[in-house]
Amino acid sequence: MKARITAAVVLAVALAVAASTASGSTRQSTRKAAANEVVVWVMTDAQNGWPGALTAANNAFKAQHPGVDVNLQLQSWDSLLQKFDAALAAGSAPDVIELGNTQTTKYMAAGALSAIKAANYPNSKTWLAGLKSSCSYNGKLYCVPYYAGARAVIYRKDMYAAVGAKKAPTTYSQFLSTGTKLMKKFGKNPNFSAFYEPGQNWYVMMTFVKDWGGDIAVPQNGKWKAVFDSPKAVQALTAYKSMALKLSRATKTNDEAHPYPSIPFAKSRAAAFIGNGWEWPYVFDPKGGAAPKSFAAKMGAYPMPSHIKGRFMPTFLGGSDLAIPISAQHKSLGADWIKAFTGTASQKIIAKAGNIANTTTLANVNKNNPALAPFAKAAKYSWFIPTAPNWVNVEKANVLKAMGTALLTNKGSVKSVAHKYSQQVTKILNAKS
Amino acid sequence: MSTRFPAAVADPPLVGRRRRRPLSLAGSWSAPYLLLVPASAVIAAVLAYPLYYMVRLSLEHYGLFQLVRHKGEWVGTANFAQIFHDPEFWHVVARTLAFTAACVSLTMVFGTLIALLLAELGSKMRLLVTAGLIFVWATPVVVAVDIWRWMVDYEFGVLNWLLTFLHVGNYNHHDWFVNPWSGWSVITALVVWGAIPFVAITLYAGLTQVPRELVEASSMDGAPAWRTFFDVTVPLMKPLFVILISLSIIWDFQAFTQIWIMLDGKPGPDYYVMSVYAYQNAFGQSEYGLGSAISLVTVGILLVVSFVYIREMVKIGELS
Repeated sequence: MKARITAAVVLAVALAVAASTASGSTRQSTRKAAANEVVVWVMTDAQNGWPGALTAANNAFKAQHPGVDVNLQLQSWDSLLQKFDAALAAGSAPDVIELGNTQTTKYMAAGALSAIKAANYPNSKTWLAGLKSSCSYNGKLYCVPYYAGARAVIYRKDMYAAVGAKKAPTTYSQFLSTGTKLMKKFGKNPNFSAFYEPGQNWYVMMTFVKDWGGDIAVPQNGKWKAVFDSPKAVQALTAYKSMALKLSRATKTNDEAHPYPSIPFAKSRAAAFIGNGWEWPYVFDPKGGAAPKSFAAKMGAYPMPSHIKGRFMPTFLGGSDLAIPISAQHKSLGADWIKAFTGTASQKIIAKAGNIANTTTLANVNKNNPALAPFAKAAKYSWFIPTAPNWVNVEKANVLKAMGTALLTNKGSVKSVAHKYSQQVTKILNAKS
Repeated sequence: MSTRFPAAVADPPLVGRRRRRPLSLAGSWSAPYLLLVPASAVIAAVLAYPLYYMVRLSLEHYGLFQLVRHKGEWVGTANFAQIFHDPEFWHVVARTLAFTAACVSLTMVFGTLIALLLAELGSKMRLLVTAGLIFVWATPVVVAVDIWRWMVDYEFGVLNWLLTFLHVGNYNHHDWFVNPWSGWSVITALVVWGAIPFVAITLYAGLTQVPRELVEASSMDGAPAWRTFFDVTVPLMKPLFVILISLSIIWDFQAFTQIWIMLDGKPGPDYYVMSVYAYQNAFGQSEYGLGSAISLVTVGILLVVSFVYIREMVKIGELS
């Protein structure tokens, strides 16, 4: 009898807890934009890497629209699209959204973005062709190029010199032999990596595939077919796996943002890593490596050498665009904010932070900066993801990240892992959308 | 079921009843319904409508294209057919059931042991242990998972450091999530750790209600402690055990936050349970219809499991 009363009380408490957690777990609703504000979703990268550009854009925007606030909501790549989908469903999309250049196609195809006129935006005649094409669909333009990034190897000159490498490696075999020497000399520290390569850093994995003449996916008879299980690709993945296992002690179950490689690098746990231009200054950022200014003297960068003599490995041309969602409430305010943020003044700051500006007129901003010149050099030879509308689903489902983990943790032979995941990618690319 | 409350109402003396009668008669047919309205409205708003919407979604093709236009495309049971023909789905179901079984049994065993310990402790130690349990219970899940994630971190985790320091082995750069068994052990430990306080405190409360005479009589008859526990205490506390086990099943079956945050929002296929699988399909692939169908199947399985619990509850009610 008493136990029953206790049971009833327990049940009541449990229900109350369930109810409170249920209400607690509901999606944080995006506040409907008031008439006097423009809601902007950009990545935290801007706040971390080029806050000056944000301030400049906000000030320019406020001068043009006194009394209108900029409601800046910083986003992270991990959850951006999930939140955007939810906002679209709830009819509370932001007025401006930053999308990665690999993410735009699906949203353009689904009609989620407003069409815009290039001529209304600054420097539109000299936009980077690669970014502009990621904003074009069926002959219309749906977003504004924001910035691009090329990856290069950031390395410790002093450590390289200590094993006799006075100059940066220019061939892949030099890269490998230097790495082996570094592991021999510094590898007694169990945390040391000659080349810090997290297992889910699929951009590097696919860079190898491209360098060996393979590809991720190709159109075939009106459908898409993933082809990174081809003999050339398997050869590349084998080379990648052997390199990563030999030279890197980075995590195999996480990616290049957990932790940022700049952190172990600044702590002398890594002699080199592949990073975007903006990851150079991030080594000194309190949230990045927090290295002292003097650390810069020990740092250098070089484009990743190809296994073919005299060439670089092609770099993934990552980048971002800015779009106005179809259901945005203040489209013209959104457009004005984008104009302010992609104008020459802001773009100069963005480029100086280690990126490639959205306009070719600023191509030489970093010419006299030896730290960033190698990134510009690397950018001349680049690759891009397949332009299938469903490509973004491959990224959202983390298929290639899971493949990196499977490859480096011996979940099967290179060939069987490559085959399994290319089948999965083929299936996703051809799914009805 | 309805025997308990009328009995209480029947208690007042006849006179009082007669005086109140006209009033209660006046509202007799409508009063109960009126009283039910607020609760029903709340349930309809927070449960019935979302459930209806989910059922509707599960019968539609609802991708990004449909999402932008707020209009699905009717496909009948195609989503369900796709799920049931997907071998991975059955793996996920089996994994979910195994994970739930492991979590619930560990939670109940440790919860019971701690409750028994609490009953034996002196008042000061009991206060200390209870406070510790309350702290665990009061820690928000997200915070707790983040702390655990850092403890088992590959690069900077304290667990790897400690195990190496204690010469258990070289755990430097040991990745707990490469091997799914070890990864699931970490997640199970986290879930059980978070669930124990509720079970332990509740069972302790139950233990204090067990008549002392019965326990004493049993031990006077020479029954060992474990026998007393299983033959006297457990039967008396059966309703409590039934509820706690059922609630634990419901909670652990839908575990999502722990897995999701522990694996940085990108769990590999080895870490799919039904909740994660539904989320990956809905939000990962923008297949909201398919995701809803998976969720609905999850609800169905849970209903089957909770049926046992509801039947037990009804039985307990009838016994009085």
